[in-house]
Amino acid sequence: MKTLLLVSLLLCLPAVGLAQAKRGAPPKKAKPASANQRKIFPYNYTIDDLPNGLRLVTVPADYPNLVALYIVVQTGSRNEIEPGKSGYAHFFEHMMFRGSRNVTPAQRDDILERAGASSNAYTTDDRTVYHELFSKEDLDEVMRIEGDRFQTLQYAEPEYKTEALAVLGEYNKNSANPASKLFEKLRETAFRTHTYSHTTMGFIKDIEDMPNQYQYSLDFYKRYYRPEYTTILVVGDVTRQRALALTRQHFGAWERGAYKPTIPAEPAQTEPREAHVEWPSATLPYLAVAFRAPAYSDENKDKVALDLLAAIAFGTNSELYQRLVLKEQKVDSVGVSFGDRVDPELFTVQTRLKKVEDMPYVREQILATFRRYTTELIPQQKLDDTRSRRRYGFAQAMDSSEAIAGALAPYLALRRTPETMNKLFALADSVTPADIRDAARRYFMDNNRTIVTLSQGTGRQTANKEGGK
Amino acid sequence: MRRIFFITLVLSFALSTLTAYAQRKSPRSKPRERIKGPVLMHTAADPDAVLLPNRSPLITFRILFMTGAADDPAGKEGLAALTASLVSGGGTRELPFEKIQEAFYPMAASFGSQVDKEMTVFTGTTHADNLSRYYALISRMILDPGFREDDFTRIKTNLINYLKVSLREGNDEELGKEQLYNNIYAGHPYGHHNVGSLSALERITLADVREFYRAHYTQANMVLGLAGGYPATFPAKVKADFAKLPAGTRTPSNFFTPKLELGTHIDIIKRETRSTAISLGFPIDVTRADKDWPALAVVVSYFGQHRSSNSYLYQRLREARGLNYGDYAYIEYFPGGMFQFEPDPNLARQQQIFQIWIRPVPPEQGHFVLRAALYEYDKLVRDGLSREAFEATREFLSKFSNILTATQDAQLGYALDSRYYEIGDFNGYMRDQLSRLTLEDVNAAIKKYLATNRMRIVVVTKDAEGLRDAILANKPSPMTYNSPKPQEIMDEDKIIEVYPINVRAEQVRITPVEQVFR
Repeated sequence: MKTLLLVSLLLCLPAVGLAQAKRGAPPKKAKPASANQRKIFPYNYTIDDLPNGLRLVTVPADYPNLVALYIVVQTGSRNEIEPGKSGYAHFFEHMMFRGSRNVTPAQRDDILERAGASSNAYTTDDRTVYHELFSKEDLDEVMRIEGDRFQTLQYAEPEYKTEALAVLGEYNKNSANPASKLFEKLRETAFRTHTYSHTTMGFIKDIEDMPNQYQYSLDFYKRYYRPEYTTILVVGDVTRQRALALTRQHFGAWERGAYKPTIPAEPAQTEPREAHVEWPSATLPYLAVAFRAPAYSDENKDKVALDLLAAIAFGTNSELYQRLVLKEQKVDSVGVSFGDRVDPELFTVQTRLKKVEDMPYVREQILATFRRYTTELIPQQKLDDTRSRRRYGFAQAMDSSEAIAGALAPYLALRRTPETMNKLFALADSVTPADIRDAARRYFMDNNRTIVTLSQGTGRQTANKEGGK
Repeated sequence: MRRIFFITLVLSFALSTLTAYAQRKSPRSKPRERIKGPVLMHTAADPDAVLLPNRSPLITFRILFMTGAADDPAGKEGLAALTASLVSGGGTRELPFEKIQEAFYPMAASFGSQVDKEMTVFTGTTHADNLSRYYALISRMILDPGFREDDFTRIKTNLINYLKVSLREGNDEELGKEQLYNNIYAGHPYGHHNVGSLSALERITLADVREFYRAHYTQANMVLGLAGGYPATFPAKVKADFAKLPAGTRTPSNFFTPKLELGTHIDIIKRETRSTAISLGFPIDVTRADKDWPALAVVVSYFGQHRSSNSYLYQRLREARGLNYGDYAYIEYFPGGMFQFEPDPNLARQQQIFQIWIRPVPPEQGHFVLRAALYEYDKLVRDGLSREAFEATREFLSKFSNILTATQDAQLGYALDSRYYEIGDFNGYMRDQLSRLTLEDVNAAIKKYLATNRMRIVVVTKDAEGLRDAILANKPSPMTYNSPKPQEIMDEDKIIEVYPINVRAEQVRITPVEQVFR
């Protein structure tokens, strides 16, 4: 725990000073700290690049016995460029559990069982991540079976078809939730060219066609399951020497590929868009208000400026939240999502209303909040509190080897180095209230906007009324 | 397994494990054979605290009250949940809730509550830098709650909407599981959802909440859980502060194992939905405190380890046949399993059920899959585990407990539960018990606890009448696949497609979804 303690001291120095400043007092200027003091990712890490393009990131941590292994592949639903192939990256993730040349699924399960491992995988727009958590003595064996499936995956068409049904089962279990449908509709409406127009799960018609696409699955593997798309992350009770030796041993012979996808760019939006979902059974009404917004960047301030604004304008401590959720109690939650994506993403505010009659009012309140910050400057204290919140939030989340690996994986998919986190938080520290207002001005324009509503039966008339401009 | 991460568009309606219920009944009929663990986490000097000091910069609180939904008065089901939610999600007498949120904001702090049948726990984590400010807020929230009218209205509406909308109309799997519990514990203190029932929630007043708080938030009921890098003097300060609570008395309750009517009973919830969710199970008179618990833990891990492809059921139903997304089994309450991989602690209970969770299947395969689940269950009871399966599962579990307790918060939660069950440190306890366990113990435990002629089944589906009629007529439900299957599967399907479910008409009920949680 030595590292942890030290880290915490370094991490929070600037934030603490600010957080203790009294309300109403003139904002204290944060003492300039050295770059090192301000690092949000406090662990010592090493990066090793193999000649085939594979990258290994090793993070020794003081939590004993366990090792978290995350294998991050830079492919996701963003890479599903052919028509009819939405949902494929996620489906392919399932196929990675269907056996390889030297390890059958049963052998794999047996090895992981004896390792007491927790093992899984997930897919998002931009990445597919395979992860295991297990006792350190099993690292060699787990790396061996991972190396094998990344290089020699092998499954027959019948197993492929069976797995396609499990994916349909996954769609089915999600389908009971209206929020899933709202999100699907929002993506489809806001994006018309770019692959973000479909969710990671994919369109149902494409999921139903998956059993017929065996050959495409093999192509997908050949394209993306290559060392140059992959970063191996090892966190926990481990040394760099051991992690590197095992990576060379089990992944060293992996052949580099040559495929580079052309992801279609989304043209500029020229008009506000709206859509409505009629839900067949009882539900409370939902509303999502989204604006086209920037991609992840650790260099350009716009993305991180809007991240800060997201918490200030729409977080649980925002005026909007306090009015709609706590005082007027017209909605039961206000949520904001604005993920770090490779390509420009939506800045989305979503809410669930208690009564459909309140839809025009709530919608106008949300739109007015967006408008407000295109002209109004955020108080310095609020901005400083928000930065403090981000730092503490991050520090509090990293409470185990797995949590560290889980927090790091998205950034490795974006930039292949933990350093991007440090750059991002340093960039956030340089953002001024004027930067935030200017970013809001650039992105929160009517012609960047998409609104989607969902309600049972007859919500449409009220839902579609135009709020203020 | 293989979860998919959408953007977090999903609004956070999952009040996850809030819940509910109770009246006291006669003590259990036979004394249990308990295991006393070697190391108890609380010391004689501190009988009402579980303290796990370490050098982490984070400090975790789990402030536990031995009260819960089983203490809800009749007709006021949901009172324990509403009280806890008002304490953790409402203002204090001094500060309105928005001021508390404002103070939490720069610390990235939060404070939450979880209510189960016998336990209410308040949880939060802070960085050591903020300990005094954070503690000042949460201690006031518990010791001096505001119980304001506007907070009450907001939280009550949230709880009602959680049952009425989020659960009833947005999550068929959880709906089926909770209805299974409600059916098994009908007429029992555990017999309603932890969040309550809709009609009772409507009736609860702020005066009821005050009274519940006064009666149950007492020193006698409280156990302080603390972990992390807090100062050595901190626990004493907390204890002194919490001495402001009324002393109270702790009257231990004994909750009986429900004696269900003989035979299989099926409840089909009729709802407009594209798939069919299935849960089945029955009560077992075994908890973590009992000698046979580790044996049953091996059985369910083998048969249906949560969200693991190593689960036997998963292999047979999903992996070999592609029927759905996963199939698992449990001997402890595990709400929100679709959202998480490890169970939450502090859901300790005197009474548990054995449960099989079949994730949604296409409606036309619902009858076949229900038969398959019963077929596999019968096979488990008949054949038990093989030596190979036993040894592999035992090895898995003795290491897996490290994963269950990988975070400080989990360590603290498990330690509190170990205190409740009077076993030692959970990891040590599991390793020790598992190392002594034999295949014969495990297979004997299956015969003793898992053989039932009182199975309870809940199905959520659209064509409730069609399914009911097919079940009552024992109509064959042949399976077809989109790809060739091994002969062994085809042969087994021939048995499953006509596998009898012996129920009479009065044992199959259709419940319109609007009536659930009334």
